[in-house]
Amino acid sequence: MIVVFEKGLVLRHIGHLDLMRSIQRALRRSGLPVRYSNGFNPHIQLSFASPLSVGVAGMREVMDIPLESECDEAEFTQTLARAMPAPLKVRRARAVPDTFPTLMALVAGSNIRMELDAGQAADAVAAALPPFMASDDCVALRKTKSGENSTNIRPFVTQASVEPSGTGYTLRCVIANRAEGSLKPSVLMKALCDLAGVEAVPYLAYRDAILARAGDGALIALEEYPYV
Amino acid sequence: MIDRIEQLLERVEKPARYTGGEMNTEVKPIAQAEVSFAFCFPDTYEVAMSHLGMKILYDILNALPYAVCERVCMPWIDMLEGMRRENIPLFSLESRTALNRFDIVGFTLQYEMSYTNILEMLSLGGIPVKSAARVESDPIVVAGGPCAYNPEPLHAFIDAFMLGDGEEVIVKVTDAVHDGRKQGLARLEILRRLAGIPGVYVPAFYSARYHGDGTLQSFDPIDAAAPATVTKCCVADLDAAAYPGAIPVPYTQIVHDRIMLEIMRGCTRGCRFCQAGMLYRPVRERSVDRLLQLAEQLVDSTGYEEISLSSLSSGDYSKLSELCQKLMERFASRRVSISLPSLRIDSVVGDSLAQTQKVKKTSLTFAPEAGTQRLRDVINKGVTQTDLLSRLREAFEGGWNSVKLYFMIGLPTETQADLEGIAHLAREAVNAYYAVPKGQRAKGLRVTCSASVFVPKPFTPFQWNAQDTMETVRAKQAELRRMLNLRGVTFHWHDPSVSLLEACFAVGDRRLADVLYRAWELGCRLDGWSDQFRYDLWMRAFADCNLDPAFYANRERGAQELLPWDFIDIGVTKAYLRLEAERALRAETTPDCREGCNGCGIERIEGLCTICG
Ligand code: SF4
Repeated sequence: MIVVFEKGLVLRHIGHLDLMRSIQRALRRSGLPVRYSNGFNPHIQLSFASPLSVGVAGMREVMDIPLESECDEAEFTQTLARAMPAPLKVRRARAVPDTFPTLMALVAGSNIRMELDAGQAADAVAAALPPFMASDDCVALRKTKSGENSTNIRPFVTQASVEPSGTGYTLRCVIANRAEGSLKPSVLMKALCDLAGVEAVPYLAYRDAILARAGDGALIALEEYPYV
Repeated sequence: MIDRIEQLLERVEKPARYTGGEMNTEVKPIAQAEVSFAFCFPDTYEVAMSHLGMKILYDILNALPYAVCERVCMPWIDMLEGMRRENIPLFSLESRTALNRFDIVGFTLQYEMSYTNILEMLSLGGIPVKSAARVESDPIVVAGGPCAYNPEPLHAFIDAFMLGDGEEVIVKVTDAVHDGRKQGLARLEILRRLAGIPGVYVPAFYSARYHGDGTLQSFDPIDAAAPATVTKCCVADLDAAAYPGAIPVPYTQIVHDRIMLEIMRGCTRGCRFCQAGMLYRPVRERSVDRLLQLAEQLVDSTGYEEISLSSLSSGDYSKLSELCQKLMERFASRRVSISLPSLRIDSVVGDSLAQTQKVKKTSLTFAPEAGTQRLRDVINKGVTQTDLLSRLREAFEGGWNSVKLYFMIGLPTETQADLEGIAHLAREAVNAYYAVPKGQRAKGLRVTCSASVFVPKPFTPFQWNAQDTMETVRAKQAELRRMLNLRGVTFHWHDPSVSLLEACFAVGDRRLADVLYRAWELGCRLDGWSDQFRYDLWMRAFADCNLDPAFYANRERGAQELLPWDFIDIGVTKAYLRLEAERALRAETTPDCREGCNGCGIERIEGLCTICG
C-alpha cells in the first residue's frame, strides 16, 4: 500500500529513524495486516520514498507499506489515521501490487517551499533569487557521505519563483535529484543568503510534494505514478 | 512572524525534546480547564518520559473532567540559555503555556541531585523561587515522590509536599486548590486546607530549632491547621487503583522506551540500606487478570514492542510464571516481548527465566551489594555465595555472556576483607563462564562490576550511619580498580563528591535550603549530569552559608537524636528501624516477612498489611 502523509511542522525536528519507528508503532496500534521482517527482532516492513531533511516539514510524504492481505484503500486510510499521533496526518492510501517499482527508484525531485519572515534580510534574499536562476553556477558546501564538498548547486534547482506573502515571502522551487544526490533546502537558503549578503533569514521549509518522472518526461506527484 | 520558540528551536541541540505532539498526549484545551496542573519533572525530557509515576498521575489528572495536566521538563543548557536571552518563559510541552499561568505546579522528586533544577525551572517559569515571596496570583507549588520523605532541604521552595502513593492524594490536592480558587480563598487559606489533607505537609506551618552543636532541638507545628505528625498516603488495593490504559509514546528514543507494567508495589525483603523497601510497605500485588487487561490496553494504545514488568523485586511476584506465560501467549503473534528488569538472584525465576530467554537475551543483572557473607548479613541482603554462583553458572549455561554485578562500598562495618570479597566474586564469575565448555557458551564474556557509594537514607536502619569521607572512598576505589584489573571484567565507580552531596541532601535539615539556593545562584544546575556538576561551586555555597557538609554526610547520628524527618509516619516505626540497626551491627539477619511478620509497624494499621492481615 502506498501511503501519502503529512509530517507536520511541529515534527520537523524528528529524524528519519525516529519517524520510521513512530510509524511502525502506529501500524502496530492500527491492527492493519502489516508484514514483519524475519529474524530475531522482527520489525514491521516499511519503506520511505525519500528521507526528509531534519528541520523541514513534509506535506505529502510517501511511503510503501507491504501487506499480508489486501485492504480497501478508504478503510486503510481511516484505520491508519486513527492510529497516528495528531501531527502525522494520513492523506491518502493507494493499493498497488507487489510488482510496483520501489518508490526510492522513482524519485526524481521535490517541490520545496520556503516561507521567509518579512524584513530587510528577506527582501535581499528575494531579490537574489532571479540572479541566482539566471546564472549557470553557484558553488556551495554540501555535506555528502564523504564529508563536505564544494558543489555547483545551481543545476539542482530547475524552477524557482518568489512572491510576497502575508508574513514576508514565499519562495517555491523544484529541486531535482541528480547522480550526486539531492539538495537540502537549508543549503540552498544559505547560498541565497550569501548571494544577498545577509547573515541569515528566519524561514520555515516545507516539502510540498515528492516528484517522479512520468513516461512523457513530465514531473508528476510520486503517488500518481502509473502502474504498468 | 515565526514564533520565537520555533526560531530558538532551530538553534538547539535536540529540539524534539521541546516539541511534544506525541501519541496519547492530546489533552483538552487548557483554556477550558477549571484547574490546570503543570506536572514538572526536574530533569531532561528523555529521563522524564521514562518515569512511570509521571505517566500514572498525568492520566489520573487528565481524567478529571474539570482539570488539565500538562508536562514540563528541565531544558538542557543550550535551550536554557536561549530562553533566558530571548525572555521566553519555561513552557509546557502540550500547549506551550508558561509555567506561572498554571494553578498548580507539581514536581516529582526522584533524585537529590535534581534539586537545583527545581529552582531553575521555577525561576525560568516566572514563579518566585521562594515560597515566602509568592503572591496570590502565583501557582501553588507542590511536590511528591520518594525524596519528599525528607522534604526539609526543599522546605523554602515548595508550598506543600505530598507523602506516599500519589494516586489519591494528588486528586485531593487538586480539588482543594480548585475549590479554594473558585471560592476566592487567599493563598494562606488554601495552604491551610492542603495541610488538613492526610499525607500533606505544608512546611511554612512548622518551625525548627537547633542545639548549639547543630543538631535538631525541636520541630513543631505553628499553625492550627498543621498536624504534628504527617502520615504517608497508602493505596490499599492496587487492582482498584488507577493505572493508565494509554501513555505518551515519544518520537525520540528515551531511557525506558517501552510499556512499564507495575506488577506490585513494596518489598518484603528488608535490605537495610534500601529506602524504597521501607517506604513502600506493605507489599501489594496487582492481579494477573488486571495486568493482562492493562497490557492489552497499553499494547493497543501505544504500539510498543516490549512490556517490562516493573516493581522493586519482580521475582517475588507470587504468580510470576503464570503471568509471564499468559502474557507471552497473548502477545507472541503481535511480536511483543516481555522483560523483567530487576531479576534478583535469589528469586525463584527458573521457568520465567527460560521464558524471557526465548524472547530476548539481554545482559543479566545481579546485585549482591557486598563482597562477603558477613557484610551481606549486616545489610540483610539474603543472598548466599552458593546461590549467586549457581545463578551465574545457569546464566552462562543458558547462553548469556554478559552479566552485571552491583556492589556498594562504604557500607557500615565494611573492612578490607569485604573489598577483597568483591574482587573474589568477580573472579568467580569469570571462572563460572570458563567452566562452561567452549562451543556451548556464548562468545565474548563481559562482567561489569559497578560499585556505588553508600548513602545514608531517611527511614532505613542505616539512617543514623555516616558516609565514608571522600578520601576513604577514593582509596577504596583505587584498591578495587587494582584488584579488578582482570580480563573480561570492567569496573565502574561513582564520583565520591556527588555521593557526598547526595548524602547531605538525603539526610539534611532545613538549613540546607540556604545552601541549595546559594548553589543555584552561583550557577549550579543539572548536577546529575557529570559534565555539568560543579563541586567547587557547591563547596563555596556551603562555606557561604557557614555549614559543613561533613556534619550531614560523615557524622554518625545519635540514637536519641531528633531527625529532621521524624515528624513523618511511613508506617514502619523508628523503634523498628533502630532494632534493625542494632541487628545489623551484630550481623544478624531478619527473615523476609512473608515467613512471618517482623512487626515493622505497618501492622498497627488494621487490615493494611496484605501479609499479616
Ligand atoms: S507488618 Fe509485618 S508482614 Fe507486614 S510488612 Fe511489616 S513486617 Fe512485613
